[in-house]
Amino acid sequence: MAKYIVKRILHAIFTLLIVITVVFALLRQMPIEGYFNNIDKLTEAQIRVGLTKLGLTRPLPVQIWNYLVQVFHGDLGTSNKFREGYSIAKIVMSKAPISIKLGLLSLAVSLVAGMSMGIMMARSTRSKWKLWDRFGTVFIVIIQAVPSAVYHLLIQLYGSDLLGVSMLFKEENPVSWILPVFSLSIGSIAYYAMWLRRYMVDEANKDYIRLARAKGVPSGRISRQHVFRNAVVPLVQYLPNSILLTLVGSLYVESLYSIPGMGGLLIQVIKLQDNTMVLALVLIYSAISVLGLLLGDIAMGLADPRISFVKKEGAR
Amino acid sequence: MKKHTEPLLSVRDLNFKFTLRGQVLHALRDISLDVYPGESLAIVGESGSGKSVFVKCLMGLNDLNGYVESGSIEYGGKDLTLLKTDSDWKDIRGSRIAMVLQDPMTSLNPLKTIGWQIEEAVRLHQGLKGAEAKKAVYSILEEVGISEPERRAKQYPHEFSGGMRQRVVIAIAMACRPEILICDEPTTALDVTIQAQILGLIRQMQKKYNLTTIYITHDLGVVANVADRIAVMYAGEIVEVGTSDEVFYDPRHPYTWALLSSLPQLGVKGEPLYSIEGTPPNLFHEVKGDAFAPRNPKALKIDYVKRPPMFAVTATHSARTWLIDPRAPKVDPPEHILALRERGKDLVAKAAAEGTALYGASAPEEETGAAASAAVNEENGSAKGVTARG
Repeated sequence: MAKYIVKRILHAIFTLLIVITVVFALLRQMPIEGYFNNIDKLTEAQIRVGLTKLGLTRPLPVQIWNYLVQVFHGDLGTSNKFREGYSIAKIVMSKAPISIKLGLLSLAVSLVAGMSMGIMMARSTRSKWKLWDRFGTVFIVIIQAVPSAVYHLLIQLYGSDLLGVSMLFKEENPVSWILPVFSLSIGSIAYYAMWLRRYMVDEANKDYIRLARAKGVPSGRISRQHVFRNAVVPLVQYLPNSILLTLVGSLYVESLYSIPGMGGLLIQVIKLQDNTMVLALVLIYSAISVLGLLLGDIAMGLADPRISFVKKEGAR
Repeated sequence: MKKHTEPLLSVRDLNFKFTLRGQVLHALRDISLDVYPGESLAIVGESGSGKSVFVKCLMGLNDLNGYVESGSIEYGGKDLTLLKTDSDWKDIRGSRIAMVLQDPMTSLNPLKTIGWQIEEAVRLHQGLKGAEAKKAVYSILEEVGISEPERRAKQYPHEFSGGMRQRVVIAIAMACRPEILICDEPTTALDVTIQAQILGLIRQMQKKYNLTTIYITHDLGVVANVADRIAVMYAGEIVEVGTSDEVFYDPRHPYTWALLSSLPQLGVKGEPLYSIEGTPPNLFHEVKGDAFAPRNPKALKIDYVKRPPMFAVTATHSARTWLIDPRAPKVDPPEHILALRERGKDLVAKAAAEGTALYGASAPEEETGAAASAAVNEENGSAKGVTARG
């Protein structure tokens, strides 16, 4: 297991190296404006001095190497345009916490609500009218089919009326957290409910459930110990990624409630052509994705004994 | 013979139906059957004949769209058809009737160790806990022929081969300490080389715990090996029931004739293998007359009009065909069935003369099955893989 993890981490680092190299090389193809805030006012000589200072006059491989060394020392560089002269790490640190807090909160809400809903739907497929299943399906279809902007807006409009709070987010006011968290989680509630229901119905029809019933296991225990436990395995894989990706924030919800988070930061800096920041953010986001996948695989391996990380000999 | 004893379980005129998309499927039609303590009963029939539905009725394991329309299942002073909820069934499922399913590859939970899965049954039905439960698990594992039980108990189903898994499934069933063991095609999914071992194990358990076993199978080789009595099912009804020898050597129902005729061993070399023409009736419509008549080239006129009752041939043997009615014209079974009848007489006589010698160390109560199994075994050296397909 440890060997496997080390191997996977090396793979991950290699992947990130490739990402950095490609993005760096591509960004260098862009106009050099991206490295200066006020290029119109600068003379040729000033630009050359600036570029030399940034180390961008040297051959491309050397530039990439230097950047890698810099990143390796934990320095993501400074912003050129978004907030001139500020260290990128500081900018991210100031914006990330609020996105992560909101994200984790809504993840918790959607896991609890979505899974309960999935369990209720799956259980009701065995009842006569399948009421929960029918209602749940309608909800899921609506959430999946209607563009999210529509229900985000509706939630903001009617929700703020209902709760009697302002439409904007204030960190100090806990009530103002309710609507954004609800908005952020409603999509994943539908997602978790849909998949858990599906996996649970799948599992409930398997032979080993029949055998468990035949050996006299009470139905509540079957639901918990056999059906739910097994149905949750495929979902476990995506959990670490969902947790890590809260850092990225949500473009639409954050702008709707004017939350000073990470949502849309990447798009903003791309528009501004703040090259160093684009590079740093791409690096952070891809590191998150790669790490999420790795943790997902490990979680899956822990949840399912059939997945083994080492070659086994003489298993039979 | 145990035919004088009281039946352990007694099914009377059981009608079971399913509703499927507004249509009604009449899955079991007037089933009456007694199961005697300590015997092994085989229920034979092609796919869709209702044999699985029937045994699931005994444990209340049918899907929720199925319901008992009429009839009764008397067992242990209770009528099982009146049990509805899972808690009603608590005293039956596992505790008194246990089941071995067809496919050992899928009938164990892949995410739980086999020790855990056996222990679940031990805790539920033997009331043991902790170290005692663990100990019971190990001894059951050893009993079903799994060595190093302490190591193997910690392993997961995927670390076991098919035959070993079926042993585990049997261990789970035995951990329940049941009175009746239902084996739903226990060897169908297994390698032929393993089949005999598993059947042997079930028989060993039967003897040790004085179990009553009900086999469901379409494999006549298995039937010949294990059954004291045979019930032949077709289109949701029992068409013939009798001791193993009676059904094998003196079959009366045309469907039983056809079923036996499709045994490859009974075919003539060079001739095409026999198969039954046509398909079973659609049970979404009520069947008129004898369900097998449309596929029976020798069907009588009355077979299309009126459903035959169960006619008794002997005290233990009865069949649902008009041919047994004294007014019926004489219709002879196919020639090889007649030949079978002759050979049966010889074998039974021989078996009686030689006592148990025919079947090695088999106990006296297995005599009936022994003659039949000897006949089928004689043909291909072993009974494995002798499959009747309708």
